[in-house]
Amino acid sequence: MTVLDVLPDAATAAVLDESSKREVRRAILTAIAIPGYQVPFGSREMPVARGWGSGGLQLTLAIVGQSDIVKVYDQGEDGGVNAANLRRLIRQSEGVNTTTDPREATVIQTRHRVPEDTLQSGQTLVLQVPVPEPLRGVERDMHELRRMHAEGDYSKMWVSLYEDLVRNGVITKTTGYPCLVGGRYVVATTPIPRWDVPPLHQAEFLSLFGAGREKRIYAIPPHTDVEPLTFDDVPFQVEEVSTPCRCGLVVPDGDRQSYQVELPQQDGSSIWACSDTDWCSRQRVGAGLLDPATLTETEVEL
Amino acid sequence: MGYVAAKGGFDAIRAAEDLVANTRLEGKSSWLDLDQIIDRLGYAVDRVMGEGGLWDETTAARAFRQAEGDVIESAHLVRAHRSTLPRFGTTDAVDVDEIDVMRRIVPAFREPPGPQLLGRTLDYTGRLLDTPDEDDARRSALEAAAARAEQPAVDVTEATSDVRVPGRLLDVLRQMDLAVDRRSNDDPEPADIARVPARPGAPRSAVLSTMARAESGALVALWYRNILGPDRNLHEVTLGEVRHGRLPVRVQHPLIDEQVEIGNVRVTEVEAIEDLDGPDEDRTKFDVGYGLTFGHNERKAIAMANLDIALTRADAGSFLEQSILMTTDGLDSSGFLEHLKLPHYVTFRSMVERKTVERKTDERPSTEAVAS
Amino acid sequence: MTVLITDQAQAAMDGAAGAALTVNGLTKHYGPILGCQDVSFNVAPGEALGIIGESGSGKSTVMRCVAGDQDASSGSAQMSSVDGGRTDVLTMAPSDRRALRVSELAVVYQDPSEGLDLAVSAGGNIADRLTAAGWRNFGQIRERAAELLDRTDVPLDRMDDPVRTYSGGMRQRVQLAKALANRPPLLLLDEPTTGLDASVAAGVLDLIRDLLEETGVAAVVVSHDFKVIEMLTRRCLVMHRGEVVEEGLTDQLLEDPQHPYSQRLVGAARG
Repeated sequence: MTVLDVLPDAATAAVLDESSKREVRRAILTAIAIPGYQVPFGSREMPVARGWGSGGLQLTLAIVGQSDIVKVYDQGEDGGVNAANLRRLIRQSEGVNTTTDPREATVIQTRHRVPEDTLQSGQTLVLQVPVPEPLRGVERDMHELRRMHAEGDYSKMWVSLYEDLVRNGVITKTTGYPCLVGGRYVVATTPIPRWDVPPLHQAEFLSLFGAGREKRIYAIPPHTDVEPLTFDDVPFQVEEVSTPCRCGLVVPDGDRQSYQVELPQQDGSSIWACSDTDWCSRQRVGAGLLDPATLTETEVEL
Repeated sequence: MGYVAAKGGFDAIRAAEDLVANTRLEGKSSWLDLDQIIDRLGYAVDRVMGEGGLWDETTAARAFRQAEGDVIESAHLVRAHRSTLPRFGTTDAVDVDEIDVMRRIVPAFREPPGPQLLGRTLDYTGRLLDTPDEDDARRSALEAAAARAEQPAVDVTEATSDVRVPGRLLDVLRQMDLAVDRRSNDDPEPADIARVPARPGAPRSAVLSTMARAESGALVALWYRNILGPDRNLHEVTLGEVRHGRLPVRVQHPLIDEQVEIGNVRVTEVEAIEDLDGPDEDRTKFDVGYGLTFGHNERKAIAMANLDIALTRADAGSFLEQSILMTTDGLDSSGFLEHLKLPHYVTFRSMVERKTVERKTDERPSTEAVAS
Repeated sequence: MTVLITDQAQAAMDGAAGAALTVNGLTKHYGPILGCQDVSFNVAPGEALGIIGESGSGKSTVMRCVAGDQDASSGSAQMSSVDGGRTDVLTMAPSDRRALRVSELAVVYQDPSEGLDLAVSAGGNIADRLTAAGWRNFGQIRERAAELLDRTDVPLDRMDDPVRTYSGGMRQRVQLAKALANRPPLLLLDEPTTGLDASVAAGVLDLIRDLLEETGVAAVVVSHDFKVIEMLTRRCLVMHRGEVVEEGLTDQLLEDPQHPYSQRLVGAARG
């Protein structure tokens, strides 16, 4: 018999013990109080490896309660293997309900995407972050990085944007585009496409960023300015859509609709599909292109 | 399309888990018992405890078996297990001079104060692959075990206490006034790197904890990089102490409020002596680096002691501190490396899009205008 | 009114009235080793002051302490552009001191890699200073960078090449362009032509002299070379073993040095 055998069940946890969750919550509160500031935290080892959403997982485990409904998706897909694994862990560990519909979810854990649906007040978006340091590309020394953030000295970042424009004619930064949050800290918008950056600006919802390996948490609270770094005369560009998508909902040069991913075909051509699979399904049902029954399909319990 | 179908994720995971279970749990051979792993694969168990940052041979052996011999994966299992456990408290600090050695060598002197105790080592045994007949080997192992059981054990307690608990070479160097004294009280409470992430600027206790838990291969590689590679923060190191021994574990008893000894841990401990030759150093003296890790892992403890002294001497602009703190954790590095296997098609699409836009030269802003 | 009187009284007390830079009793020790001892001087707006001495005389230490690259052990320094000369810049917080380097104070180093990012283009190096000062329009940044590089005789068809690909003389010209980007009132030049070929050095010196005249920037020129001091300054200090041993008009000092060390220095230069 060990000490653990005499403890009440609540004190032992499947994944993360309660006092560690409290530590994470304290770091979250600091992060919300200082938008964009990377708060160090004692990141625990999770059943998933570093780099596989261990930071996002700790955030979600720390903030969910019995009444929460959690959505977990990866690349915009609820069915992705890693998303499925994380969802299983969260459900088993915390006993919460899960969903694929972001409109129903109170907490949405995501890798590389922001839902196409406009999230509302009261919802929390948890982003898995591989590299939280936006300036790493221009500076490796962590002492100097700390100084640059503390003094708001971002001229090296501006120089890199300048050099990019001079060399390539366009700003070639792709995902994880650097943004100024609340007019103070530059953050890495974890590899979400540029397409997903505008919804973070003056949002109704709370965004929490968790980097498990690098042991950092940062936040964009609701109603906070999120400005992609760019020159006044060089507009920020989101990804272009050049071909109609296969579901027939997105046409090029149309209004903002949905981020598209490319599906290369054997013959060298490509077709295009919406990255947000849940959004796409609902749109197709609405347009009479898909059987509504597919939406209510329940997941298998493992 | 392997990642796509809505239920495909679960089905694929379940199928993968089935494949793992097939060989690990069912398999064709007999079940591997924990005591076999602890007895016969001791170095692996020790590495798992060291890199997992948790002393418990049974837990480490369990992890090693579950991970099918993958040490880094085993350390991950141990650490993730630890995340589920509440903390009841901390052990009291013990003086490492209390170490009860099973092996102690002092390369720096022929006859140091205290013993040169070779102990259990393969250092001087030819690396020849044994190829016995399996049945003969199994039979002779059983016979040897039986014979040992009949004979009275060698009474190790007969050895005098100054042999089992020798003084350390650093004290000798201090008596000879040959060691720089860097003892200070500015880091009294050892940093807990599980709670406060160790970042550049962290106290020495955090740096030492990081290395004690680091992946063995990462420390060796960083050490070698500093010998032969571009970093060159190491110069003329001589080992003072290499020890493998037992240290007591003591806690304050919660009810009687007294210190009680609750067991012991095996550790490998190393002191590395560095010849000081820098312009702003006391060139009449030596300085010493320290390494200590769970279990018997001399390679790791030696690398650690070397890197500790190298960091003390490193220039302000050196990246050594950052390299030790940020790049030697096995879970960090291998987890991040393996995450490259995850789907990245959303981000890759964004990169492809920029390439396409770059090619449309007509969209370039007129950067050339001013240079004309 | 009271405030005005106080300000004037303060300025008079400091002896800093109108001076672009006032240094008083500047001392720097490196452990037991003396860097410089009790160095005091003023630089008027638009004036170029020379500091001459051999290597190890402490002249570069003075410059680095004023620039904020090193912390002084004691003494004070005021700049008229900073808080009207009332604040001792040596006691400012490190972050505030670094902020001065954006547009109040620029340094041209002997080694271009100290003042430039060699991996970045000439234009990008200038963009560094401009964006730090808040410039956010790409076209305007390009224009200003081109204007500065044109003025410092850097061929514009090279402005997008990494500075690493430039010759030594060109690198110094880019350093000058970068230093002057935000029109600082004070410029510190530390051996700006040392290490360059004589003909290249002469060209850079001509450029510096013209720029000092044109921009009206106050300057401190640190050099071991009398020719540099003679060409760029009207007044100079002679430093020896960390201390100022003589001070005067550059012409007179060259004609009639008083201190034995100055005499030796001049003799060597003339010899």
